Amino acid sequence: MTDASVVSQSVNEGKSSPLSFLAGLGIAVNPGKVFSTVLMPIIGIVVFLLIWSGAARNIDTSLGKFPGPVVVWEQFGSLYQEHVTEREKAEAFYQRQEKRNAARVAKDPDYVPKIRAYTGKETFLDQIATSLVTVMSGFLLAALVAIPLGIAIGLNKTLNAAVNPIIQIFKPVSPLAWLPLVTMVVSALYISPDPLVAKSFLNSMITVMLCCLWPMVINTSVGVSSLDRDLINVSRVLRLPALKHVQKIVLPASVPMIFTGMRLSLGVAWMVLIAAEMLAQNPGLGKFVWDEFQNGSSNSLARIMVAVIVIGVIGFGLDRAMLAIQRFASWDKSKATH
Amino acid sequence: MSTLLDISHIDMVFDTPKGPFTALKGVDLKIAKGEFVSLIGHSGCGKSTVLNIVAGLLQASSGGVILNGREVSEPGPDRAVVFQNHSLLPWLTAYQNVELAVKQVFGRTKGKAEIKEWIEHNLQLVHMDHAMHKRPDEISGGMKQRVGIARALAMQPEILLMDEPFGALDALTRAHMQDSLMEIQQELNNTVIMITHDVDEAVLLSDRIVMMSNGPAATVGEILEINLERPRGRLELAQDPEYTRLRSEVLKFLYEKQRKVEPMVKPRVRKKVQESRQHEAA
Amino acid sequence: MKWLKPFKKASVQQVARLSKVAAISAVMGVSAFTGQASAKADFELGYPEKEELTIGFIKLTDMAPIAIAYEKGFFEDEGLYVTIEAQANWKVLLDGVIDGRLDGAHMLAGQPLAATMGFGTKANIITPFSMDLNGNGITVSNEIWAQMKPNIPKMADGRPQHPIKADALKPVVEKFQSEGKPFNMGMVFPVSTHNYELRYWLAAGGIHPGFYAPHKGDTSGQIDADALLSVTPPPQMPSTMEAGTIYGYCVGEPWNQQAVFKNIGVPVVTDYEIWKNNPEKVFGITEEFYNKYPNTTIRLTRALIRAAQWLDANDNANRPEAVKILSQSNYVGADYEVIANSMTGTFEYEKGDKRPVEDFNVFFRYNATYPYYSDAIWYLTQMRRWGQISEDKSDEWYKELAAKVYRPDIYEKAALSLVDEALVKLQDFPDFESEDGFRDPQTHFIDNLVYNGKKPNDYINQFNIGLKQGDRI
Repeated sequence: MTDASVVSQSVNEGKSSPLSFLAGLGIAVNPGKVFSTVLMPIIGIVVFLLIWSGAARNIDTSLGKFPGPVVVWEQFGSLYQEHVTEREKAEAFYQRQEKRNAARVAKDPDYVPKIRAYTGKETFLDQIATSLVTVMSGFLLAALVAIPLGIAIGLNKTLNAAVNPIIQIFKPVSPLAWLPLVTMVVSALYISPDPLVAKSFLNSMITVMLCCLWPMVINTSVGVSSLDRDLINVSRVLRLPALKHVQKIVLPASVPMIFTGMRLSLGVAWMVLIAAEMLAQNPGLGKFVWDEFQNGSSNSLARIMVAVIVIGVIGFGLDRAMLAIQRFASWDKSKATH
Repeated sequence: MSTLLDISHIDMVFDTPKGPFTALKGVDLKIAKGEFVSLIGHSGCGKSTVLNIVAGLLQASSGGVILNGREVSEPGPDRAVVFQNHSLLPWLTAYQNVELAVKQVFGRTKGKAEIKEWIEHNLQLVHMDHAMHKRPDEISGGMKQRVGIARALAMQPEILLMDEPFGALDALTRAHMQDSLMEIQQELNNTVIMITHDVDEAVLLSDRIVMMSNGPAATVGEILEINLERPRGRLELAQDPEYTRLRSEVLKFLYEKQRKVEPMVKPRVRKKVQESRQHEAA
Repeated sequence: MKWLKPFKKASVQQVARLSKVAAISAVMGVSAFTGQASAKADFELGYPEKEELTIGFIKLTDMAPIAIAYEKGFFEDEGLYVTIEAQANWKVLLDGVIDGRLDGAHMLAGQPLAATMGFGTKANIITPFSMDLNGNGITVSNEIWAQMKPNIPKMADGRPQHPIKADALKPVVEKFQSEGKPFNMGMVFPVSTHNYELRYWLAAGGIHPGFYAPHKGDTSGQIDADALLSVTPPPQMPSTMEAGTIYGYCVGEPWNQQAVFKNIGVPVVTDYEIWKNNPEKVFGITEEFYNKYPNTTIRLTRALIRAAQWLDANDNANRPEAVKILSQSNYVGADYEVIANSMTGTFEYEKGDKRPVEDFNVFFRYNATYPYYSDAIWYLTQMRRWGQISEDKSDEWYKELAAKVYRPDIYEKAALSLVDEALVKLQDFPDFESEDGFRDPQTHFIDNLVYNGKKPNDYINQFNIGLKQGDRI
């Protein structure tokens, strides 16, 4: 990975060939490696773009031609531009609000002015942020529940016997099936005149959480229950108290499995979140895709394509980030590979 | 010499799906303070079971173990175990592995500086001071076992229990480790029970060799006193007729008296039996 | 007028005092503004009790007053900070208003009536503001159009003569029936204008659209049907027809024009031709919301009245700007051209056959925003006609229900206070002093029947197809 990024940077910066550039810096470069880590991916992408634009030209939808790479690239720009424009509108909104507040205070001295959040539309970038925040919150919440639960199940065979059937039954259920139930329960239970977070956020987050829960519980409990007998004996010989046993032996020993579960569930969570947002019209990238589909404007397909690419890149990024954290935090480097 | 450890009338019966299996029957052994005792026998004879019972990791079906006049009922740092495959916590450095043990045993009685000094002392003892901040996956098998020994020694146990500590090492490393162990033993005069398969190792290191009969219902077969003078050097001993005699005594016990009588046919069944025994022993 | 009496209990002075102190009073909910001799609002409108609001809408051009009120700052002028949220379908939208996720919404006229009546989810929804007139169309797929076209009389220039009646569709439906194939059509909601308009058009052409029988648990509306109608959310209409699930649909704009642009279907008739200047969407809130936040409600209504006025001002001069706003992805989001097609006074039928329909979307003219009881009653007559109201009801019942849901009293307060501030002209509104909430008997239906809102039962009895007084499924 690092080799590749160094090399690709040099491609961007230096006009000379990457090899000579690196050689000039005294960095040893293995031509074979450059070939496989830089050249081949570039060729792959170029070929993909060619096939894409070729195919796009031949697909006629009722919304016009399927967008090719160029059109999609333009939409990247226009979505960004929209974001900038919306931010300017937001700025104006706050200024107007201040004036209105001031005017009202002048008339009605008892009034305590309040600054309300901008009520305009969520831009593409806002939707990305919303989705990311949602997936991370749901994921962390799931970790908070799943890891202790997984440890408890892994340590206690009786508990495992009790909980295992439930896990086995709920594990294969698509979290999307839960979505209507979650929505109803949240709206029944989460009643507050001035809610801290929106119900829609809660719905998405809980759905993400439900989907993260099972892989994490299972992996954690397997990690814990497959703890090396000898390590348990070490703990017994040292007479480590229960809590210390968990803290010093069980937890670190299961870290690689916990991370495997976490990576697995984060990947699924991201996919599920997008679908959930589409289904429930909850803010986020999924809603963006659905809205664009519903709008059916001539830009819609290109914008959806932009979202598809962004979803993919973020999904990839999330996985890499988890991997980096795993590499950093887990002692078992052999598990922290692709 | 006073008896430090008294293993008396131990029976061990495992419950298996095919009914009870008697692994040990009437094992009796007294070990004096400062004595180095080897347990030798064919695999599956219950050596490890004996050691685990002494360690408290297994409970004998009947009979008991008395250490310093008190019955052993659970594991504890007074009976430090050196496991066959080192059993270091892979996420901790050599230093931290020893530290975990030291803090647990001396956390209340020693100060911070003292603890650090004690950890380093024990790592020096096993010649691991140069790599004490490396993690298990960064050091060789022999080094890992040294750390394992350091961890056990650092607990200042009444008795050191070693379960084939060098079994997984190559011959050369093993010889080094044996020399080191003798050195340490010379200095600390620990009480040690060591399980081994290796006749030379047993004769070289031990004050007594306890030879166990084959299972089921394995028990102490013969006990051989090794009165070779210490310090012992492996080269000198190679020419020592007493050494040769002792060695052949052990071999005789193992390969004449307790030769594993196994049918040559039906190897599959045999394998199964072995497997199930190993399983039970575990 | 007799039946209006129960709603006149609270005096104007009481109302004024109450709103001054922003008191929350149940009395407010049933108090009606009597429209005293002066054309001035003789109460002082207080600050909004609730300032941050969320308003739901469905992606249709007739949500325009909401978008305009936001974009033109009319909401903010009232001290309201409104978030506008597109909803997936009409049910989600209605549930949102009922459970409080939404403070108010762009609704089908039938929704507040049905909800108050308890057909579907039961809740007291009221409407202080009618959002528009007309704006819907019926589109059939290209395949059906090809079969229909030979049955349609032609004009001198060869183009089909309008309005196209369902008589032209009848042979097609009969052919489907003889082949044992169901003839499926889409509408947007069981109590939607579109459902009633599609049914009206079909029935006027002799095609039976089917009965409902809620008392027997049948809410599919396909009993005795020649054409099977089912629900599809508006924005999905074109793609559902493209997929072949339905052969035609009745929906608001831009989803008829979208079919033309996508080349997948042909709009055959607009609701303007089925019933000239028919009432369309309303702005719905819960009765509880009004009781709790009377000033907020009045202010919302004020903002919407101003937006509607802006939309129709100077002979639709602002429409291009409105279309630009509506084409933003957070509102309707369709292409400018598609929305402009109907919003700027024309309507494209068959590709290239663009005809002027000045009043295709009316937001303010003809007292479009005033919540007429007679409009409500028309919907109720259609609910009765198709069995959604399964039993006979007295004329009084119709009127009482209409008065419970349609709230010209709130509208009047909003309008008069705007007149006071010289933001609108008094002559743009009905004469509040004499207005009884009933339009004059209306003609201009495609079947040439006359609708008199004061005599709902007589009206129902005129139809050839449909339940009449005394009928029960």
